[in-house]
Amino acid sequence: MSTDDESMYATPDEEHRRLLEETGYDADLGMEMARDAQKVSAGDLSEVEFYRRYHDRILEEFDVDDREVDLPDPDEVDSGDVNAIDRIEGAFEGIGETLRGVDGDESESRRSVMKKGAAAAALGLGGLGSAGATTGGDDGAAGAGGGDDGEGTRWGMTINLNNCDGCLACMVACDQEHNLSEGANWMYVFAFEDEGQGEQENFLPRTCQHCTDSPCTKVCPVGARHTREEDGLVLTDYDICIGCRYCEVSCPYGVNYFQWGEPDVPESEIDDDHQIDDRGRWVGSRPPEGVMGKCTFCVDRQDGQMGEEKVGTTACEEACTMDAIHFGDLNDPESPPNQHLEEYRSGQENDLEEFPNRKEHTVSTFKLMEERGTEPNVQFIGNEPSPHAEQVEGPVAYEDMGITDNRKEVLDRGADGGEEA
Amino acid sequence: MSVDVTGVDRETLVRPIQTFTKRYLAALAVAFGLIGVWLFFYVQQLQHGLIVTNLADWGSGGGVPWGLYIGAFIWWVGIAHGGIILSAAVRLLGMDTYQPVARLAELLTIAALTCAGVFILIHVGRPDRLVTSVLPAWPTRVQWSPLMWDVTVITAYFVLTATYLALTIRYDVHRLRDRLPNVLEPVYRVITVGYTEKEDQVVERMVWWIAFAIIIMAPLLLHGGVIPWLFSLLPSMAGWHGGVQGPSFLSIALTSAVSGIIIISAAFRYAYGWDELIPDTVFQGLAKWLGFFSLIFLWLQLQQVITGIFAAPTTLQHATEVKIATPLYWVAIGLVALAMLYAFATSLRPELYDIRVLVGMSVAVLFGTLAEKVLFVVEGLQHAHFDLYAGVPGAYIPSPVEISAVLGTVGIVVLFFLVVSKVIPVVELHAIEDHEEVDA
Repeated sequence: MSTDDESMYATPDEEHRRLLEETGYDADLGMEMARDAQKVSAGDLSEVEFYRRYHDRILEEFDVDDREVDLPDPDEVDSGDVNAIDRIEGAFEGIGETLRGVDGDESESRRSVMKKGAAAAALGLGGLGSAGATTGGDDGAAGAGGGDDGEGTRWGMTINLNNCDGCLACMVACDQEHNLSEGANWMYVFAFEDEGQGEQENFLPRTCQHCTDSPCTKVCPVGARHTREEDGLVLTDYDICIGCRYCEVSCPYGVNYFQWGEPDVPESEIDDDHQIDDRGRWVGSRPPEGVMGKCTFCVDRQDGQMGEEKVGTTACEEACTMDAIHFGDLNDPESPPNQHLEEYRSGQENDLEEFPNRKEHTVSTFKLMEERGTEPNVQFIGNEPSPHAEQVEGPVAYEDMGITDNRKEVLDRGADGGEEA
Repeated sequence: MSVDVTGVDRETLVRPIQTFTKRYLAALAVAFGLIGVWLFFYVQQLQHGLIVTNLADWGSGGGVPWGLYIGAFIWWVGIAHGGIILSAAVRLLGMDTYQPVARLAELLTIAALTCAGVFILIHVGRPDRLVTSVLPAWPTRVQWSPLMWDVTVITAYFVLTATYLALTIRYDVHRLRDRLPNVLEPVYRVITVGYTEKEDQVVERMVWWIAFAIIIMAPLLLHGGVIPWLFSLLPSMAGWHGGVQGPSFLSIALTSAVSGIIIISAAFRYAYGWDELIPDTVFQGLAKWLGFFSLIFLWLQLQQVITGIFAAPTTLQHATEVKIATPLYWVAIGLVALAMLYAFATSLRPELYDIRVLVGMSVAVLFGTLAEKVLFVVEGLQHAHFDLYAGVPGAYIPSPVEISAVLGTVGIVVLFFLVVSKVIPVVELHAIEDHEEVDA
C-alpha cells in the first residue's frame, strides 16, 4: 500500500474512534463492523455471515437491527456486493454525515464516501480499488448505470414458479409483440422434472436475466450489447452489432437468438415507436438479419411508446393469468416484483411465536446460476432446477401454441424455407 | 550441427523468379480452383445470410452459434503465430540451420493471418460493419472485450511481421537486383526506397528487437494469451475454462506451424530442386521440433482430460466425458501421436527418415489440429453449465459453405506463395552468404 493512498483515504484510528464515539453508541462495535464490512467489500466475507455476526449485538445496542431493510434474502445474497457498508449506516444513523467530512468531497456519492470513511475508520488503510472493481464491467459509454445501487430505476422481475402452470401464453405474447422469427423464443418456458421434487412437473419461464454484471455486455467488441444507464435494461443496438455472436457464447443462460436469415416480419410492418428507444437507438422489436436479438424487457413499453399505463409492464406479464410474472422497478419497495415477494412470504404460515428461532421467511427464492457472478435482475420463487433436472414435455405443447421449440429445425430448412415460414 | 549451404550460388536462390513452368501454372489453377469453389458458396452466404451455414443458437435453439469458422480462425492464427515464433527464434538464438526456411515461415505468417482475417469476415453477420462499428468502439471496448483485444494483437502481429519482412527483403532485393525481372522494377523501387548499405547494421538491430518483441508477445498475448482467453474467461461453457488453455493453445500453434513450414519448404525444395539449399538436415531438425511440440500438445491434452474426469465439477466432467467419447477427438490425438512417434523414431534411427513420409505426417498433424480446434469450439458450446434445455447439447455438422471456406483459405495460401515467390527471393541471401561475403 503506497503512502499516497494512505494520505488520501486514511487517518489514524483514533480519529475515527472519536467520530464513532460521538454518536453515543458502542464504538467497539462500530470499529469491528467497519473492519468486517471491508472484508465483505473485498469478497472475503459473505453478507449473510456479516449480518449474523452482528445481529445480536446490534439488537442489544439499538433494540432494532435496521439492516434487515437493506439486506436481501440470504438465499440470494451475492458475496461480491459492495453495499455492505450501507449496513453500518443503518446501525449508526447519522454517522455518514460525520464521515463525509473526513473525505471532504461533497460531489461524491453517499455510498462511496461511506465506503471510504468507514474503511478508513476501521483499518486506517486506503486502496479500496479492489472493492470498487467488483462493480466494473462496463465502460462509460455503455455503463451499468441502472445497477444494483438502489438509486434510479432497475427493471426486473419476480417470477413465482409455484404459480406457473406451463400454459405458454407468455411465450406467445412475447413472440407476437416483438415480431419474432420462428423459434426465436425470447421468452421460453421450461417444463422439467427434477430429482427430489417428485414426479410432478416444474416450470421455469426464462427471459433474459438483464444481469447487472452481464457477461454479454463485457465481451461485446463494439459496445452494441449494452446496459441502458437510466434503468439497467440490457439491450442490443441493432445499428452497431456486427453479428459476431460473442454475447450469445458468453451468456450462461442461452437467451440470445441470432437473426440467421431474413426475419419473418419485414421492417416495413414494424412501427418505429417499437424499435427506437428514448435515446434514439434502435434496440426494440426483432433484430434485422445478421444481428443478435433477445428479450428487451419490452423496452418500448418502458419508454411509454405504448402508453403511460404500459410503463412498468411486459407482454409476458400481461399475458400471464396465473400471477406468476411480476415486472417492475426492483429499487422500488412498492413495485410489483418486490410487493409480490413480500406478500407471498407473509402469506406462508410461519408460527414465529411458537418457534421464535425460525427465520422470518420460509419461502425459497433463487436467481438462475447466480454462482456465475452475473447478478441477474430476475428472481424466482420456488425450487431451483438442480444440475440433474431434465426438460420434459409440458402440459401444453409448444406446437399447439404455434411456437417452434427447436429453432435448428427451422434453420435447417434453409433460406427458402425460412421465407416461406 | 549447423549445416553449411553457403556453397549454393545466387542463381539457385532466384530460380523461382526466373523460371516459369507448366507445373507452376497447374499449381496456380489449383489455387484459383480452391478459391473459386469457396467464392461460389460464399456468394450464397452473402445473399441469404448465415442461415446457409449449419450454425444455430445454443439453448432452446438446438445448435451451436460458433463452429468451423471460428475453429479454422484459431487454427490459422496458430499456424501464423507458430511460424513467426520459429522465425524469430532463428534470428534471436542464431539457429543458422533453419535460416533457409526462416523467410518461408515469415511469409506463412502473413498468409495465415490473412486467412484468419477472412474467417472473421465471413463469420460475422454484418461484415459491412467491421470498420464502421469496430473503429469507433475501439478505445472503450478494447479493455473489456477479449475479441476486440484479440483483433488488436493480431493486427499488431501482422504489422510486426510485415515490418520484419520488409526490412530484411530490402537487403536481398538490393543485392540481387540484377537477377530480378525488370517488369517488376516499380515494385522493387518501392521495396528498396531510400536504401543504402549503411542501414544494414541498423536494420539488423531493429530486426533483432522485433524478433524479441514477437517472442515475448507470443506466449503472453497471442496464442498463449488472448486467443485462449476468448474462451477461458467466459462464465458460460464448462469445457472452455481453466488456466491450461493458454499453454495448450500455444502448443497446438507451434505443432501446426512446424507442420506448415515442413510442407511449404518441402514443396519449394521439390519444385525448384533445392536439395542443396534446403538440405535434409533442415527437415530432420524440423522433425525433431515437430516431435517435441507434439509431445507438449499431447501432454497438455492429457492434463485436461485427467483433471476433467477425475472428481471434476459435474458440468466439466460431463463435457470431458463427451470429449473423450468423440471418435474425431481420438483421430486428432492419434494423428499427432503418430507424427510424434515418427519424428522421434527418425532421430533414433535416421534411416527411417523420408521427406515424403514427413510431409505426409505434417499434413496429418494439420488435419488433427484443425479437428481438435473445431471440436474445442463446438463441443465447448454443446455443454453449457446451464443444460436444462432439451436442445443442449446442440447438433452441428459443418455445411458445404463452411467447409468450402477452409479449402478457399488453403487456396489463398498457395496463391500467396506462388505469387510472392515470383517477386522476391523466398530464401534470404544470408542463408547462402555471410554478411562479409555479400559485402565483399
